[in-house]
Amino acid sequence: MSEMNTPAYEQKIAILEEKLNALENKVNSLESKDPVLEMQHVEKHFGGVHAIDNFSVKIEHGQIHGLIGPNGAGKTTIFNNITGIYAPDAGKIIFMGEDITGSPPHKVAQMGIGRTFQNIRLFSNLSVLDNVIIASGMDATYNLPQAIFHSDKFKKREKLLNDKAMNLLEIVGLQDKANERASSLPYGHQRKLEIARAMALDPKLLLLDEPAAGMNADESLELVDFVRQIRDHFKITILMIEHHMDVVSNLCDYCTVLNFGKTLAVGTPAEVKSNPEVIRAYLGGNE
Amino acid sequence: MFLQQFITGISIGGIYALLATGYSLIYSLLDFSNWAHGEFAMLGAYFAIVFANMVGLPFMLAALLGVCGGALISFLCEKLVYRHIRSTGAPNMFLMIGAMGLSTIFQQVANLIFTGQYRSFKFKLPVSTIEIAGAYLGVLDLISLVLTAVILVFLIYLINKTKFGLNVRAIACNANAARVLGVRVDRSIASVFLLAGSLAGVAGILYGMKYNVFPTMGNIGLKAFVASVVGGLGSVPGAIVGSLLLGVLETFVSGYISSSLRDFFSFALLIVLLLVKPSGLFGVDVQDKA
Amino acid sequence: MIEAFNNINAAVCEFLHINPYIQGVIILVCINVIAILGMAVLTGFTRLFSFGNAGFMAIGAYTAAILIVRHDFNFLIAMVLGAILAGFVAFLLGSLTLKLKGDYFLITCLGFGECVRVLLNYFKKFSGGSAGFPGIPNYSSMLFSILCAVLAFFIAWRFIHSKYGRNITSIRENEVAAEAVGINAFRYKRMSFTFSAVYAGWAGALFAGYMMYVVPTNFALNKSIELITTTVIGGLGSLTGSVLGAILVTLLPEFFRSLSNYRMLIYGVAVVLIIMFRPNGLYGYKEFSLKRLIGRFSKPKAEAGKEAAS
Repeated sequence: MSEMNTPAYEQKIAILEEKLNALENKVNSLESKDPVLEMQHVEKHFGGVHAIDNFSVKIEHGQIHGLIGPNGAGKTTIFNNITGIYAPDAGKIIFMGEDITGSPPHKVAQMGIGRTFQNIRLFSNLSVLDNVIIASGMDATYNLPQAIFHSDKFKKREKLLNDKAMNLLEIVGLQDKANERASSLPYGHQRKLEIARAMALDPKLLLLDEPAAGMNADESLELVDFVRQIRDHFKITILMIEHHMDVVSNLCDYCTVLNFGKTLAVGTPAEVKSNPEVIRAYLGGNE
Repeated sequence: MFLQQFITGISIGGIYALLATGYSLIYSLLDFSNWAHGEFAMLGAYFAIVFANMVGLPFMLAALLGVCGGALISFLCEKLVYRHIRSTGAPNMFLMIGAMGLSTIFQQVANLIFTGQYRSFKFKLPVSTIEIAGAYLGVLDLISLVLTAVILVFLIYLINKTKFGLNVRAIACNANAARVLGVRVDRSIASVFLLAGSLAGVAGILYGMKYNVFPTMGNIGLKAFVASVVGGLGSVPGAIVGSLLLGVLETFVSGYISSSLRDFFSFALLIVLLLVKPSGLFGVDVQDKA
Repeated sequence: MIEAFNNINAAVCEFLHINPYIQGVIILVCINVIAILGMAVLTGFTRLFSFGNAGFMAIGAYTAAILIVRHDFNFLIAMVLGAILAGFVAFLLGSLTLKLKGDYFLITCLGFGECVRVLLNYFKKFSGGSAGFPGIPNYSSMLFSILCAVLAFFIAWRFIHSKYGRNITSIRENEVAAEAVGINAFRYKRMSFTFSAVYAGWAGALFAGYMMYVVPTNFALNKSIELITTTVIGGLGSLTGSVLGAILVTLLPEFFRSLSNYRMLIYGVAVVLIIMFRPNGLYGYKEFSLKRLIGRFSKPKAEAGKEAAS
């Protein structure tokens, strides 16, 4: 309590506020331009199976866009096409005005697309903190001799990485677990850690693959709040795959419904829910 | 000369194929290269030597016991070691390291019991070469060729036409799905180890008859490993084609270029081939799904 | 220069009463430590497997030997060049083969190692063939070897505890996830492969200076297998564990002469047992530290104190 009134503390806040404003201006200037992600007529087939068929989407800055559809509808394949795990057979993927079709995964990540995985993929044997630090590798701009001789630059950068990672962990509420092994965290925390790790890339677009999978109603509600907080705090755009219709209606500004690789409907959650084709696919399908 | 070399090459390739198909079968089921596989051949050959030369059993019976010995050791490795490693959920690399350890153990044990001495079967074939179209062909080569051909045809029949083969192919596709559908996965895997071990035993005895039996002869397993990689890991027909290719290449390099460069050419072929076809001739490229 | 080093070494050994036999053992330990540190980075931290590191040792050993004996190079420069050449060859080989998956990569390493050995046997004019390459001056004194091993450990430690180490470890943990956070897995795998080859070349060059005579069979497949075995015994994912493993594996047969025939058998059994029951080696992903050791002993006391207080 006493600390909060000290001049040093106030000064610190002033500096932070200034920085935040600068960032906000930067974001606003970006916002006015192209959509964050645009996919044009993307196709991907495996053998004879059309995993995605003529898929197009436009995601504007700051949106939360949902991808829904029954199992095998091609949702994760879309993620894998965006992040470069597969190269699409046809079509174009444009991110912040740049064509990223067929770029390798690490390039796509470096350009500012972070992602999580359906079946969580953490660096299980490493500490929670290291999981996040590794993802901010782009800020580690020292070279090998500097690392070996522990030059000033190395020390400064490592400190910065550490602070940044701790800051992110604080935001997701895992700061107390920083030194624990990632695999020892409970399931819900692992999901949060995966999001924190993706945020360490300073992404402009975050792809969430079924973030509420395996969660009960209460936990999903908490997740909805959490994702919204992340969006508002970092001013990012989110594309998420989700099965839980309540999560989608609560969270998404727009959504796209897929079935067997084909786009069934696009619109706000309310519009989509009343679309007869969607109802048929869902009631006649497996969910 | 050419025909003679060719037949020799094919017959050596046949011996490789007996081992390489074992590598492929096990790889297709468990996604790891059973580094100890060559040692099953060596142990099979030693079992046969013991029964034929020391106990004095008739050669055919001793050979049969040798084959059983190879199969038994292979089975025990699966039952006692590999199954345990699999049950810990360790990465596949650990299975391979375990196999490497087993290989070292078998080589050392053979060396301690039998010493490094080269041993040969007392059994001799009545005619050692016959002349066909001006080429002198070793009777042993021909016998080994015919025997391998019969065994390999039987193996392909077993995999493609029987219930056992169907189970094995199902596990290779998706072990968990196979288990759900009622395939007894562990039992099938154990049977494959028995089968692969007995093929290795045959290979070891044939190799021992052609050359000698010695503790490090398991290194032919390495050649078979190369052959199965050339053919594409996990593919039985690929393993056979790869083995024949390698056998012929080796004999021709030894015959026309230099026998001391033989291994260089085999491995160079392997590396170049993999650069052109990263999954071997018949291999399937599996992607890690995110 | 060699003489200066050897004189200092002799003086130190005389002062500390270290006889030539012990010196030899210590030199061998240092050589193995360097080679194993390279393997530890590659296998323990990146989870890449190489059956070709004996080949890189051979490149280091023969390069140093030939440069010193035929071209009168200073031994330090020759050793550095030997290590660099091994690394360069690994860089090229890795560029071609590291895109291959799992066992396909592994067999190309094995093939490479065997090719090196066969070629050294074949080009007699260049390498002395199977008769070996004699006449190498004795530059690997005990003091110099210890210096090398300490330096090698220092560099490896700093390498692992920087972004480089973190990135290769992330590839070990989950390659897809590593790529998804912007790590160029191929580049870092190649870096790790090159690193291990430089260390192998370094160890090879020291080995040449200790034996004063090298033959291709020194660097056969068995040597690669021995390197992997030692790495597994020391623990995958621990540098200090690897060093202890290297020391243990080199010293045991020296202390138990009667066991020397069973040496490889014991190691084989050890590897199988470790992989079955302690797959992360004796130390696992932890580094040996005195602090933790003390911590472990004092912990029960602290807890007892807490209980009493409550």
